[in-house]
Amino acid sequence: MNVISKISMAIILLFSFSFCDAQIQHTKTESVKIYGNCEMCEKTIETAANIKKVANVDWNKDTKMATLIYDSTKTNQDEILKRIALAGYDSDKFLAPDDVYSKLAGCCQYERVNKTAIAKTVAMEDHSMHKHETPVETKQEVNQLKTIFENYFAVKDALVKSDGKLASTIAKDLLVKTNAVKMDKLSSEEHAVWMKVLSSLKSNTDKISATTNLEKQRNAFMALSANFYDLLKVSKQETTVYYEHCPMYNDGKGANWLSKENTIKNPYYGSQMLTCGKTVETIK
Amino acid sequence: MVIQNMLPKKMLQIVLLLLVSNTIFSQKIVRYDLYVKDTIVNFTGKEKRAIAVNGQIPMPTLIFTEGDTAEIHVHNQLKESTSLHWHGLFLSNKEDGVPNLTQMPIEPNTTHVYKFPIIQNGTHWYHSHSGLQEQIGMYGNFVMLKKQHDPTFRKGIDDLPTVPILLSEWTDYNPENVHRMLHNATDWFAIKKNATQSYAEAIKAGHFKTKLKNEWKRMLAMDVSDVYYDKILMNGNPNSEIGNIDGKQLKAGDKVRLRISNGGASSYFWLTYAGGKITVVANDGNDVEPVEVDRLIIAVSETYDIIVTIPAENTAYEFLATTEDRTNSASYYIGNGIKQLKSPQPRLKYFEGMKMMNDMMKMNGDLDDMGMAMSLNQMDMNVVMYPEITGDAKPKQDNKDPNRYNANALADIVTLNYAMLKSPIKTELPKNATVKELRFELTGNMNRYVWSLDNKVISETDKILIKKGENVRIVIYNGSMMRHPMHLHGHDFRLLNGHGEFAPLKNVVDIMPMETDTLEFNANVEGDWFFHCHILYHMMSGMGRVFTYENQAPNPLIPNPKLAQRKLFADDRKPHFMADKDFATNGNDGMAMLQNTRWSIGAEWRLGYNDMHGYETETHIGRYVGKMQWLIPFIGFDWRYRKMGIDEQEDNLFGQVNKKDNRTAISLGVMYTLPMLLNFQAEVYHDGIVRLSLMREDIPITKRMRAGFMVNTDKEFMADLRYILNKNMGIRTHYDSDMGFGVGLSLNY
Repeated sequence: MNVISKISMAIILLFSFSFCDAQIQHTKTESVKIYGNCEMCEKTIETAANIKKVANVDWNKDTKMATLIYDSTKTNQDEILKRIALAGYDSDKFLAPDDVYSKLAGCCQYERVNKTAIAKTVAMEDHSMHKHETPVETKQEVNQLKTIFENYFAVKDALVKSDGKLASTIAKDLLVKTNAVKMDKLSSEEHAVWMKVLSSLKSNTDKISATTNLEKQRNAFMALSANFYDLLKVSKQETTVYYEHCPMYNDGKGANWLSKENTIKNPYYGSQMLTCGKTVETIK
Repeated sequence: MVIQNMLPKKMLQIVLLLLVSNTIFSQKIVRYDLYVKDTIVNFTGKEKRAIAVNGQIPMPTLIFTEGDTAEIHVHNQLKESTSLHWHGLFLSNKEDGVPNLTQMPIEPNTTHVYKFPIIQNGTHWYHSHSGLQEQIGMYGNFVMLKKQHDPTFRKGIDDLPTVPILLSEWTDYNPENVHRMLHNATDWFAIKKNATQSYAEAIKAGHFKTKLKNEWKRMLAMDVSDVYYDKILMNGNPNSEIGNIDGKQLKAGDKVRLRISNGGASSYFWLTYAGGKITVVANDGNDVEPVEVDRLIIAVSETYDIIVTIPAENTAYEFLATTEDRTNSASYYIGNGIKQLKSPQPRLKYFEGMKMMNDMMKMNGDLDDMGMAMSLNQMDMNVVMYPEITGDAKPKQDNKDPNRYNANALADIVTLNYAMLKSPIKTELPKNATVKELRFELTGNMNRYVWSLDNKVISETDKILIKKGENVRIVIYNGSMMRHPMHLHGHDFRLLNGHGEFAPLKNVVDIMPMETDTLEFNANVEGDWFFHCHILYHMMSGMGRVFTYENQAPNPLIPNPKLAQRKLFADDRKPHFMADKDFATNGNDGMAMLQNTRWSIGAEWRLGYNDMHGYETETHIGRYVGKMQWLIPFIGFDWRYRKMGIDEQEDNLFGQVNKKDNRTAISLGVMYTLPMLLNFQAEVYHDGIVRLSLMREDIPITKRMRAGFMVNTDKEFMADLRYILNKNMGIRTHYDSDMGFGVGLSLNY
């Protein structure tokens, strides 16, 4: 026992050395402008910038000026400002990545004065990323099945992410929208298939919404996908839809799903087997 | 650094001058003089040895135009021999630059002249093929331009402003030491990368069962790369800027072509760009139909030509090369003005990767692809570890913003794979040639860092004979747990990727675990051509083969083929030394071992401070058997001396009397690695005494804490706990049935 306590003493002693000596040496002090708004910004900026014994940053939210104190043998201004920019905050040297900036809390979304607007259409592509942020509201008259298709895709996306909670929430919404479909507005072909799949579609959606257990949800989703496949065959949508196949699910019997992208993102396994599968049919 | 940057510009001017003045002559000789010399570099604050050519790292960019004749004078001013290999070039075998295979090494203070006509165009590179010199600076760009009226000239691609970029990595460790540490299954690199994947970390991440299953299947912590690097370099710098090309200021809307070669010794790099999409226009020096992607991974020794656009004025956009393990990166800022950054690649979810490996690994060490036919990097099992594709490791900070999951997960990013590469010209092989089909399985075992083809290293195999004129088709299956960039010298091969007659031409193919790829080439140049994994440490471990042509003329640069072969084989036969030494309060423990691909000679000793504690040594000579090398039959020699002390055990569990006072014995035995990485050892001594023992070392408790134990039928036991201080040092406490409690300093090499 004695020995153990001696060892632990020695170890504690060893560690304590590193604690008492946390001051920065070879210091250089600079004042730099960093764009931001509030106290929350201040915390993010300083956390990103500070490294024990190497750099210490104090940002003032009123003046937007930061005091950098750092060990000039170990780091430099650029390194510190880059870390701050990667946390979402522009300086006069670095611009934060757009995706990081957009993830800052609402109160922190400062005005990006240093960013030059892109003249051409290059940046337009970026918008596609945010497409499923809000539930889709489409005019019923135009294509009322489109709404429920969008909902189906959202359920699929939730399963890809293995987010049972989200899948359940969206499924509830899908159920509401399914009930709201006015059958008399459907074309005769659509109507026939609709009548055929409706009860199964509803019960499958219900199963997904009733649980957050991914296994149960995926099982119901397999049948739901079959329902939607039948529907899609008669109800042409504006965008191309891909019918995709996972050979492993359902004890190797395989299962299908519909997707708007040709790339495989497997809803039956999520991250476990994300890219497993192949497109079997392209429905235009 | 300033001087270094001057040099290529001067070279360029000379070359340009030559180009202008000589266009009238069809055969133009372009001469370069390369002075290879030891140098001291300081990338990290520490001065370290490196090799510079003409005073610079990387080596100078060599530029030619198709139709030129290259004449390269290599002046070796090192204290060791060297060589230069022209990666991806079509040339006669004696110019290929593989020491002891296509030429003898260039000895110190001698000059060797490489002279060959340039009969192709594209982005290539060159590097030393001697030892581990490639790791410490001997890599450079090799660009061959198209002729002025080349019919394959592509407007909007071949006339763009161009920057050659050479990717590489730097480690402060001597590469010989890196190589040795890899063979000794060091986990120091994992500690540096914060990727130990210990039990404590597993429990914290909710993956205790995953870790348990992983060890049950006899795997060490998984990673996508082996070595930790201190710095990542693009053209020799971690950060570079380019504001103008050929004297022209870059402005919004400009397109820039980057000629990128991966000169890293063992790193794959993710390439991403802050200014939008990347257009891939060539691969391994061969044009491909332009394809737009968000990112691509460049395998070791591959080259890619890509086009990026500068979207806005007054901004420089970050072009980012990140190691596959995402621990480090280098940046190139393209444009003028404030620097627009690109989000770094998020950290890997190691335990998800471990789970994936558990599912893929069968108990016998084979991999199980569960019926998925994998090829061409299309299915990347590693995506389970990529947060940008499959979401964050753990939605722990749920309280933040519920939407953040949405924005993060499953962004629609396009990653390049080989199936997307299509040649703009037909690449079919001669139709009437005979076809020779070869099959290889890439094999290896991480624990002992043995890498091979069909479980045989270079020195264990003969050259593979092929006939001039025939078409050689190679089917490669990767049955190992790491990806391998397989490189063929002197020929481009077609990678059969579903584009039929437009299959892309390459000279390196990256094959991920469980993938099968097919490649084919027409055997059209005689010689001894190396076909090997381009990860430097894998190649040096013997992962390769040599193709040779039937009845070919002898190589005038190899006067003594037998001697050359012996020297070539010496590379993977080289034994690796390791040692442990524990200075404790109750005695001195230690062991030293010399190992190579198949053999191991090791000695262990336990020396007490008095006769009661005793002194003993055990020496084993063994041979590793099988692909996974779990079984080792051995011959042992033991000696010990002890006056009876604390633990008087003279008879073993089998009732045999085993005198410990003074004993010298010879034994025969086997060691076998059981599930959970338990070492089971059975020994019979010359006097009939039997000893069985069970041991486990280096159980990763926390990031730096390791535990171990040993029990045997002589009723001896030992348990220890070690805290790793640095690469070579730790604090160790142990209890030993012979010597009692002890605490001390443990050193390892």
